[in-house]
Amino acid sequence: MGNASYLAVAFEGILLIGALVVLLVAVVAGRSRAVWAPIAGASFLLAALAGVLQWIEVENGGGGMFFSAQNLQVIKSPMVVLDGFSAMASIVLGLVGFTAMLGSWDLVAKVGKRSAEFVALSLLAFAGLHMMAATPNLVVIFIGLETASISFYVLAGFIRADVKSDESALKYFLLGSLASALFLYGIALTFAATGSLTIYGVNSIRDFFSETVVSDPGILLVGMALMLVGLMFKISAAPFHQWAPDVYQGAPSGAVGLMAAGVKIAGFAALGRIFVGGFISQIDTWGPIVAVIAALSMVIGTTMALVQTDMKRLVAYSGVAHSGYLLLTLLAGVEGMSAMWFYLATYPFMIVGTFAIISTVSGPTSTSSPIEAMRGLSRRSPEMGWLLAIFMFGMSGMPFFAGFVGKILAFIAAGDAGYIWLVVVATLTTVIGFAFYLRVVATVFSGEDDDTTMIDPTLSSRFAVVIGATVTVVFGIVPWILIDVVRDALPL
Amino acid sequence: MELVDYLPIALLTLLGIAFAGVSLVLARVLAPSNPTPEKLAPYECGIVPLQEPVQRFPVKFYLVAMLFVIFDVEIIFLFLWAVRMDQFGWAGIATVVAFMLMLIETLAYAWKRGALDWNVSHRTRTRRVVAPEATIEKAA
Repeated sequence: MGNASYLAVAFEGILLIGALVVLLVAVVAGRSRAVWAPIAGASFLLAALAGVLQWIEVENGGGGMFFSAQNLQVIKSPMVVLDGFSAMASIVLGLVGFTAMLGSWDLVAKVGKRSAEFVALSLLAFAGLHMMAATPNLVVIFIGLETASISFYVLAGFIRADVKSDESALKYFLLGSLASALFLYGIALTFAATGSLTIYGVNSIRDFFSETVVSDPGILLVGMALMLVGLMFKISAAPFHQWAPDVYQGAPSGAVGLMAAGVKIAGFAALGRIFVGGFISQIDTWGPIVAVIAALSMVIGTTMALVQTDMKRLVAYSGVAHSGYLLLTLLAGVEGMSAMWFYLATYPFMIVGTFAIISTVSGPTSTSSPIEAMRGLSRRSPEMGWLLAIFMFGMSGMPFFAGFVGKILAFIAAGDAGYIWLVVVATLTTVIGFAFYLRVVATVFSGEDDDTTMIDPTLSSRFAVVIGATVTVVFGIVPWILIDVVRDALPL
Repeated sequence: MELVDYLPIALLTLLGIAFAGVSLVLARVLAPSNPTPEKLAPYECGIVPLQEPVQRFPVKFYLVAMLFVIFDVEIIFLFLWAVRMDQFGWAGIATVVAFMLMLIETLAYAWKRGALDWNVSHRTRTRRVVAPEATIEKAA
């Protein structure tokens, strides 16, 4: 296997080195944001490049399981896998991280002395997020989850002087810790039921299911349910979504894009890895639960978004609905994974772009962002106004935008899996969802002519928004480019 | 999956609730209730408390404790590696050195931020690494 084993952890390695270099520069050279910008940007881009190399390696048949300590010859438990799934996660997380960092740069420029910590925490968080997608070991998934979550708790409370930011961080921390604890308990019970912590390898969970007929699944059921709850919390699916609007609203606008997009990608990657990779033989057990959660997410997310007056809360509730659409792809098992990755490769760019615009309009440290603040944006900053409209169209699922293709693929996946009623619910909520997305667009293009307080976006947020919009439009018009690629993004 | 399969869990939950509830109710019903000021005091016997038990304590200890945890965890990993050191070979040594360098850098960063200075006020401590600047904390 040779050097390939280092390639499998290249994403984490690069981001870790980037974070350490940022802190080292902060120690040795004092402060200089001009230095941190290229370090952070280069780390994310190099990490994405490592993802491309991983992808090529997998396409050439070089993937596999690594860090099974070959020279010990006793432990056959892999800690890292290199497959289309983890390579795709590298590429997507690297590019989304790069774009989100650009969108957060206004905030980094404002937090002054603590900006090194912000950059380092972001890099570490994304390393943790990818770990969730790239490991078959449940405990390592938990460690990745915690690495990312703890970094994000800090980012949510980064404006210490702002009470709302503190509240947001504390809420996120308390509820997030509860979810993490439930997830961990789920791992423990799964271990008790199957005798294994790892999805692949010798004595793995998959071996257990292929060799044993589960006659008394009590403990296994509780274990799977608790793991589901823990991850559903992180992706803010419906019964576990209450934290999302409050945290999104209270956290500094510049940081939310980074948090929201990253957690969505990794949460679904972990769900795919665990439930489609490991528990696929039990899909009759967890399928109905996921279907109910998906339906609840779509209905609650859409209806609550209708009545929001705050832009950040609106995006949070729309995120709940999008979690529901994404959950449809899980129900299709392995066949749904390509649809999931199409969705995950496009939707996070819309979140990041939207929050870059919110951060530009309301200020990167703002803890509230009324939709009214967007009034007349098309005149006050034409590019931001138009691009926000593109993101809203993209999220709503308007044809010729990437969100449409993502939703169609998810609906097809769920339909093929036999959940016709769920597709009906999803279609209805999509139609209702147009109402609140178009309300934002209408606000952007309305307003009195005398309100001409121009908004001058910074270069970095311009870049972030343009990258996000490019992804939204290009993959909406020529989706087959991406569809051809994500077809191979399957778990081992 | 049948709902009946969940019965043992439901029974266990009910049993737990019932045990706690029955204990409380029985204690309330059976125990004689004859409160006097002495009985209601936090300590029925011993010295009368002179001040609130919860006191403020310097936050410095928490910094030290956090730094201690970092190296506590380092030791855990080093033990695991040391047991099988010969089998891991040079690759193992390189890995452990890289791991320790990370922790040393963490310590260096904390040190430079003034986490190890005992008698420095928080205000001067945070200015150590980076010069003061128009921060949002002032603006907010």
